[in-house]
Amino acid sequence: MSKTRFGRAAHCALMTGLLFYGAGTLPALAGDADAGKDVFKQECSECHSPREGKNKKGPSLFGIVGRNAGSIGDYNYSDALKNAKWVWTEDKLHWYLSQPAKQANPGTKMKYPGLDNAKQLDDLISYLQSNH
Amino acid sequence: MSSSLPLRLRRAAHAPWLLLVALLMFASNSAHAIPAYARQTGSACADCHAGAYGPALTPYGMRFKLNGYTDTDGQGTKIPLAAQITGSRNVPERGESTTQLSEADVYLAGRISDHLGGFVKVVTENIGDDHYNTKLSNLDLRFVAKDLKIAGKETTVGVAINNSPGFDDPIAALPYASSLGPPAVSGTLLNLSSAHTLYNRVIGGSVYALYDNDYYGEIGTYNTMPTSMIDHLGYNPASDPGRLSDTGYFRFAYMKDLKRQFFSAGVVALTTKRQLPRNAPSDDITDLGYDLTYQFLGNREHIVQVSYVNILEQRDYGSTPVVGGIAAKSQGNARDQTLSVTYTFKQSYALQVAHLISTGSQDPVRYPPFGKPDSTANMISLYWTPFGKDDSFTSLANLKIAGTWYRYTRFNGASMNIFGAPVGALITNAKDLDAFTLSASVAF
Repeated sequence: MSKTRFGRAAHCALMTGLLFYGAGTLPALAGDADAGKDVFKQECSECHSPREGKNKKGPSLFGIVGRNAGSIGDYNYSDALKNAKWVWTEDKLHWYLSQPAKQANPGTKMKYPGLDNAKQLDDLISYLQSNH
Repeated sequence: MSSSLPLRLRRAAHAPWLLLVALLMFASNSAHAIPAYARQTGSACADCHAGAYGPALTPYGMRFKLNGYTDTDGQGTKIPLAAQITGSRNVPERGESTTQLSEADVYLAGRISDHLGGFVKVVTENIGDDHYNTKLSNLDLRFVAKDLKIAGKETTVGVAINNSPGFDDPIAALPYASSLGPPAVSGTLLNLSSAHTLYNRVIGGSVYALYDNDYYGEIGTYNTMPTSMIDHLGYNPASDPGRLSDTGYFRFAYMKDLKRQFFSAGVVALTTKRQLPRNAPSDDITDLGYDLTYQFLGNREHIVQVSYVNILEQRDYGSTPVVGGIAAKSQGNARDQTLSVTYTFKQSYALQVAHLISTGSQDPVRYPPFGKPDSTANMISLYWTPFGKDDSFTSLANLKIAGTWYRYTRFNGASMNIFGAPVGALITNAKDLDAFTLSASVAF
């Protein structure tokens, strides 16, 4: 009986994980969005605005999580990002921001060396996820 | 003839008023907010300037300058025009207070193409009694090649044409770039407050490179313009920097942007032969200096910027005039030091404290009445810039209200009776040169 309950619980947990994964919201990436706002200011804000419709040297990051790469109509993307054909899931952002931008997307205009602090990266992505 | 002897003698005659002019020059460090750049890039003023108003640059502002002012948000061509109007109330320790519209500036500033950009500032200044003088102020035109690879490292190479050696410096701690230098009796060629300064009165070019984001190098040369040209550009021919020849400018700096912090260490050199007046024998002059800067940026809530500049000038004079049976020395030196600390809160409220020292070798002929050119001053500035941030009323324009104190503790090598007035005459002490200025500038 108890084995059955355990089995159900394990099954639910697995399904929940799969659902989170499918929605691009891995629990493992859960960070502190408030702390992530500070990380955004120190790492991103000179080139990107969190406000909708406000492009700087880089495009607005309002609603970035879930957005198709290179999809803001009035921003002049590099060909490399226009052709990237990916969706900015939290997982993708984690991959992209943890390495030099030109390594992740050769030909991009973005000059970013990557964020190697795992906690700051999680916090940042949590903030980006919350900013929509 | 000594390069600066005529000025010393004039200064001895009517020094306080000339000094007030020098003081106002020293006070001019409130300019350089360029909203045209904000419109071009979509960035806020505060992205490039910690206090949302120049001239001190953040690391991002340094990169923008290095890239020849060409960065853009990619959303069409913007009109590369901006303006600044400044009104001020000056309250000197001695003399009449004035309240006036002190300066109106027009900037032609921005990109022409991905590789070509610039900065040109034209100033109309109130020179008293509602008389105005218009002059060409700073000039910095650049061609830049970005995203080059040398030995596998990212490299930027540029060519700059400008009218003040060091104005184009990315770190912007050197006097011509920071608009901050000690009020000087002697003073180095790289100090904008020196007599016969080169500031905005020469024309030259340099080639510069930034290698691997951290190593900056620049080599250039400068020449003076004809005195008629200096006059036409709005400067008094009496401020002629003289005829320059064999002039070389060299700069190397290591700069490290750690996002939350920034630091740099650099060296600078300027060597020239100068004839002043232009038919006089030439003085051999070499400036050698170093500068150190540190910035704590954090999450931009509390920003601290510290800079220290030390420039030593060696002079071999072309002549040794004799006054009262005493011959001037054939060699001399001058040293200018500037230490500045600025704290900025919420990119809006700032306190800047600067300690400024100008010293030089003793020479009873060249530096009457005491034979010492030493001066020491402090500047304390408190200012508020309500706009120019991403989340403010406007990020593309700004207002700056500043209260600035100038405090002198030494001039002409003395604290008391600095002009050596005889008994019974009006005595001027160093502190009589103190002044307070309240100013409001709007840039749009």
